[in-house]
This record gives sequence, C-alpha cells and structure tokens, in this order.
Amino acid sequence: MYLYAGKIAKADLTQKKITIEETNRDWIDQYVGGMGLGFRYFFSQVRPDVDPLSPQNAMVFMNGPLAESMAPLSCRLPMVSKSPQTGTIFESNVGGAIAAELKYAGYDGIIIKGKSDQPVYIAIKDDRVEIKDAQGLWGKGIFETEEKLKSLEKDEEVKSFVIGPAGENLVPMACIGTEAYRQLGRGGTGAIMGSKNLKAITVRGTQGVQVADMKGFLDYTSEIFQSNLLTVDNLWAHTDGTPAFVASTNDMGIHPTLNFQQGTFEHWEKIDSVAVKSIKRRARACRSCPMACGNFVRTEKVMVEGPEYETLALAGSNCGISNIEAVAQFNEICDDLGLDTISTGNIIAFAMEMTEKKIYDFGVTFGDEDNYLRIPKEIATLSGRGKEMAQGVRSMAARYGGKEFAMEVKGLEMPGYEPRGNWGMGLAYATSERGACHLRAFTAFSETPYDLAAMAQEVVSQQNFNSVKWSMCLCDFWGTVNTEIMSQFLKFGLGKNISAEQLDQIGERIWNLSRIFNLRAGMKKVDDDLPPRIKKDPLIGGRAQGKVLSEEDLETMLQTYYELRGWDKEGVPTQKKLSSLGLADL
Amino acid sequence: MQKFLISHIEKCTGCARCLLVCSALKEGQFIPFKSRVHFVNFARDGFSVPNICFHCEEPACQEACPVEAISRDEWGAVVVDDDTCTGCDECVDACPYGMIDLNGHGLAYKCDLCSGDPECVKVCQPQAIVYAVLDEEASHNRIFLMKQQFKEGMAKQKRLSFAHALKGMYG
Repeated sequence: MYLYAGKIAKADLTQKKITIEETNRDWIDQYVGGMGLGFRYFFSQVRPDVDPLSPQNAMVFMNGPLAESMAPLSCRLPMVSKSPQTGTIFESNVGGAIAAELKYAGYDGIIIKGKSDQPVYIAIKDDRVEIKDAQGLWGKGIFETEEKLKSLEKDEEVKSFVIGPAGENLVPMACIGTEAYRQLGRGGTGAIMGSKNLKAITVRGTQGVQVADMKGFLDYTSEIFQSNLLTVDNLWAHTDGTPAFVASTNDMGIHPTLNFQQGTFEHWEKIDSVAVKSIKRRARACRSCPMACGNFVRTEKVMVEGPEYETLALAGSNCGISNIEAVAQFNEICDDLGLDTISTGNIIAFAMEMTEKKIYDFGVTFGDEDNYLRIPKEIATLSGRGKEMAQGVRSMAARYGGKEFAMEVKGLEMPGYEPRGNWGMGLAYATSERGACHLRAFTAFSETPYDLAAMAQEVVSQQNFNSVKWSMCLCDFWGTVNTEIMSQFLKFGLGKNISAEQLDQIGERIWNLSRIFNLRAGMKKVDDDLPPRIKKDPLIGGRAQGKVLSEEDLETMLQTYYELRGWDKEGVPTQKKLSSLGLADL
Repeated sequence: MQKFLISHIEKCTGCARCLLVCSALKEGQFIPFKSRVHFVNFARDGFSVPNICFHCEEPACQEACPVEAISRDEWGAVVVDDDTCTGCDECVDACPYGMIDLNGHGLAYKCDLCSGDPECVKVCQPQAIVYAVLDEEASHNRIFLMKQQFKEGMAKQKRLSFAHALKGMYG
C-alpha cells in the first residue's frame, strides 16, 4: 500500500489484549488520515456520553499519509479522544519523530481502550506489540521516564509518548510528552492516559514508506520548496520561530496580559524573539522539516526547547512575568511534569487576579516569580492550593468566584490572541470542537477584524481547511500550503487523483462529524460562548483600546456562521447538510 | 581539487531529510533504517550528530575486505562492488565509525557520494553536511572527527558511541 501502512494496532488494557487490523480503506477515502480518520475511528469506538476518564473512553492516535516522506512539515501525529476538560471530542497533535517511527513500525494508528489494574506501558517494535510492566516508572517525570524507556527497550532510538505526575494524578489539563519538549498539549491527553494506568507508549520501526512515483514525488518536493515553502510568508519560522508573535500581537493590541485585562504588555521586549535568541544555543527541527523553528535555550538555570509564543504569552505577559529565563524555567518544569503551559499559565494568572482583587487568596500575585515557579509542581501533585488549581479556571471560578474573568471556553483556557481586538478569534474560540483553541481558525492577522460577516466566513473556511490540514498531518507553520498542493503530493504518493475540491469537502465532513458527536455528548448552543470579560470589559491599552466583543455582536456572528455551515439557529447540522456530506446515516 | 563530505556537528537540527533522500534514491522508498547517512538525536540535550562516511585516506573497510570488493572511485569515494562482495561482514567489523553495514541486504553497502554529487548535501537546509574542498578549518574538523573511533559492537553501536563522544564535548 502506498503512503499508508495499512494496519491499526488496538490495545485493550483491561483484557491485556492486542489486536492488529487492516486500516479501513473506505474511511481513508472519506477522511484522509490524522484528525479526520481519528474522529471517524473514535466515533465508532465510544458512546458520546462516555466519561472521559473511564475505561470506556478511547485514545485514537492516527497518522497522516505523508509521514514520513520527503514532503516537508508532514510529521505531526494527532490523537483524538473525549476531553476531561471540555467533555467534547477533541484532537491534539504533536511533532518530532514519533509519527514517522509509528509508520516505520507498520501502523497508521493506535487505538487504546480499557484500564490496566497496574501501571503499564505499551511497547511497539515493528510486528511486536506488547503490554509491559511500568510500576518502576510511575511517579517519575517525563524526561527521566523517556531515558529509562530507552534502557528498558535496549534501543536508544526508541521514541515514546509519556505522561508525568500530572497525568498520573488525572490533572484535567495534563499533556503527553515526547522527545522531552514536544507535547500533545491541549485537552487533557495526559489525564486520559493516566486514567488507563498507561505510563507510556514506546515506538520503534525499521520498515519503509512506499510511494507510487518516487521521481515525481521528489521533483515536486523540490519545486514546492522554491515556489511556495521557502518564501517570505513562512520564513519567520526559520529565522525566529513562534516568539516572533510577541512583537506582532503587542503591535496589534491582542497580546493577553495580566489575565486578559490588557492587550499589550509593557515589558514585552524582555520576552520577545530577541530575548529568546539571547539564551538560544541551537535550532531544532521536527522530522522532515527544513524550517527548524525550535529554539533550544540553555543557561545555568535552564535547558529546554522553547519557550514558544503561547508559553511566552500565557505564562509570561499574562502572569506579569517579564524575565525570559523564568519563563523558560516554567516551560521546562511543565514539560517534565506533563502540564499544558497554556492552561497552566491561564490558571496562575486567574489565581493572581483573584488574589489581587481579594476574592480568594491563592498566595500569588502578578509578577511573583517565586510562587509562579512553585505552583506547577503543586498542581501536578495535587498538593496544597495546587489541588484546586489543577481543576482549571472554570472549576476555580465556580467554587471561589471570579466567573467574570475566568478566561475559558467550554472549560478549555484561552490561547494567546485577545478576541476583543480580533472578533474572528472570538468566533473561532466559541465554535472550536475543543473550546478555546487557536488552531481551528486563525484570523489574528486579518485586515477586517471587526467585520462580523467577513469574520464568520473566514472562520468557516479556515475550520474546514484546517480539518483537512490536520488530517494530512501537516504543520501549522506551513502557512501557504493549500489543498492543491496536498492533492499533488497525494497524486505522486498514491498514484491516484484526489482533487483539491474533494479535500475541501473532506474538511467540511470532518468538522460536521465532530459537531454531531459533541451535540450527542450534550453540548448545546449556549456552550458556543465566550467569557464575560470579553463581552463586557473594555480592553485596556494598545490599538484595540476600549473594545469589547458584545453579546449581540457575538450572536450575530454565530447566526451567520451557523447559516454558512448549513446548521439551524441552534447550531445543529441540518439533515440536508449531513446528506450532502455522506453523514446522514451516522 | 578533491571535495570531501564534511559535517558541522553544531548545525544539525535533526530533521532527517538527508536520510530520507538517501534511502529514497538508493532503496526506492523512504526507509532511513537503510540510509547510507545517519544521525543520532539527543532530544533532551537539543543536540543531533550526523554520522557520515569520511571516505578515509586509508579505509579500514577496504583493508579488511578479503576479496578486494572495496575500492576508490574516480570521485574519491570508497565504494563496494556488489558483484565481488560475499557479505562476509569483515568490513563492518573494521569500520570504526559504523558507516558500512549489511543490514537487510546480505551484501555490504555504504555511502558512495552519489558519483560526486551527494544528494544528502542538497537537502541539508542548515548546511550541517556539505561537500567541499577542505579549507583549514574543515581540515581540522575532519581530523578531529576522524579521531573518534570505536571498535566495539555492531555498526549502529559504533555510530551511537561516536555521537555520545561528541555530545560529551559539545552537547
């Protein structure tokens, strides 16, 4: 089989049973791979009302067709499950080399259900898939666990998915780490793994990936490098990486600061891309990527790849922290514990505002570096104040107050783009399948950020496009890729034509599938909402000074959005729309 | 002037494009396991080490070959003649860098500099592997790297030992 491995490995941790089955070819045609194929498999595996942390929930890891070929930026590996943070279906994806390793081992995906009675890890090495004892690894951080797994598997080149203490303790925003600094970051992937008593998955493969027309594939790769990839719209990733956004979001006035009170940070120049470069040692890349956007930084106090923009914004400016070394330390600590830096930064910022406003004393105020660096461990180990903070901003607000400035959507804390200064980002957060997420639609650089109709249109088309982009498992940072280019890679790779139009429709199908799941899981229109602060509190500072995204404007955008989607006024896909996408029978 | 394959350790980003193109052209599929160029990635240390064949002045592989299957071609590459090779493994034992192997082939295989035009170099965006005439710096670098020799273990083990030694110095 070209591009695809053709097999899925299934593990039932309750029964301690491994089965290997053929990848469903009809579903490949309908969903391509990655996020879409993951959604489809997940849909077939669980009931929508499943408790996310129960044995009945499934984790579906699903590769894309281009991992690992010479197609650039093609080595992301998505995981699909139901989120303990939001109670919705969600996808999270990670770079590095593990997607490639899985393909080389001979699998398009891994599906895990059940719950082991003891800590275990799953070891995949080519044809051998085994469930092994992990009691000696339980309690250890991600960095140490990954090193130990190399010894246990007697192979230094083994790649692994690992949870830290946060995942073991079922912290809802726990993530899964791989290659030390890369994460399936959002939605609580690590908590789901922890709920199954699954400490790690190791992957090692020695097989190859076949393509239909190798010469055509390589020639097209070279051509697209010059004509599309290595051009000005993408090269920021090579020269600066994501820290470049610190300057641009401050310039636009959409940089989350002091728990989203302000749109600019007075000390942004202390944590921007120049600051990151001042402690940078080397550039790092994911498999197949010529951009090498990763900034490996090292000082006497810290060694980490990062911080990326989201960490700089949410755990820097949003917490009033302007010391680049401290943000990098926070990054390293969270990576080892297995905590999502976006949610953790938000939670600490919320606690800071609660404390300063004397609503509840969490013992931390804006800019307090000492407490800021102590809290992640308290969260991951559920000790002291960390126990309440671990449950996330929504839960903290429900218990102690501060709902007006609890910056989350559907339970997921907000990423680094202020919606009051860009209303499309507000709609994107309100309608993403996994709550406040910037990776489904990204209108932050739009020239018409307050045009309700234009923003609704842009969000719809980007959600559809990104659904297919994450299904092809391409990286976010290939900003100029399009379905025409994807179609060409598939033509040379598979030896058959899948048109750009077909890929566009696949994107829309995927988006509707996740919507159906979420409605059946109990989500309602009222959940397509934004925090009160966004709708009521005028933004302070910067170009969007004084702006809100009012309840009425949000509702107008939502109704336009639903209509463009072919959904009714309550956000439910119509039968006509579902039929046109081949989803009527589900 | 003769050109040499030269690696600049600190520049490697770990993208593996060199392995991908090498295996694509030599094996007809993307199979880094059978690439002629390798690298070792130390994720936690943010450090990657390319493993290249130095095409030694006095190649240990050539010396060890009992059937004289290994020779130097017109571009200065140390190459294996498939028709003569018996797959005896002596060269694999002899190479101190782990850059000749039998893995899954039955016969010895190694880097042949793609007839004087190495493809790995063309896809190396960070220029961690280059193909150039030796200047003074590159010459020192080559001598230094070639001193990192390892006798123990299979080819892969020797490549790992090489990488670990460099991590100790640069990582």
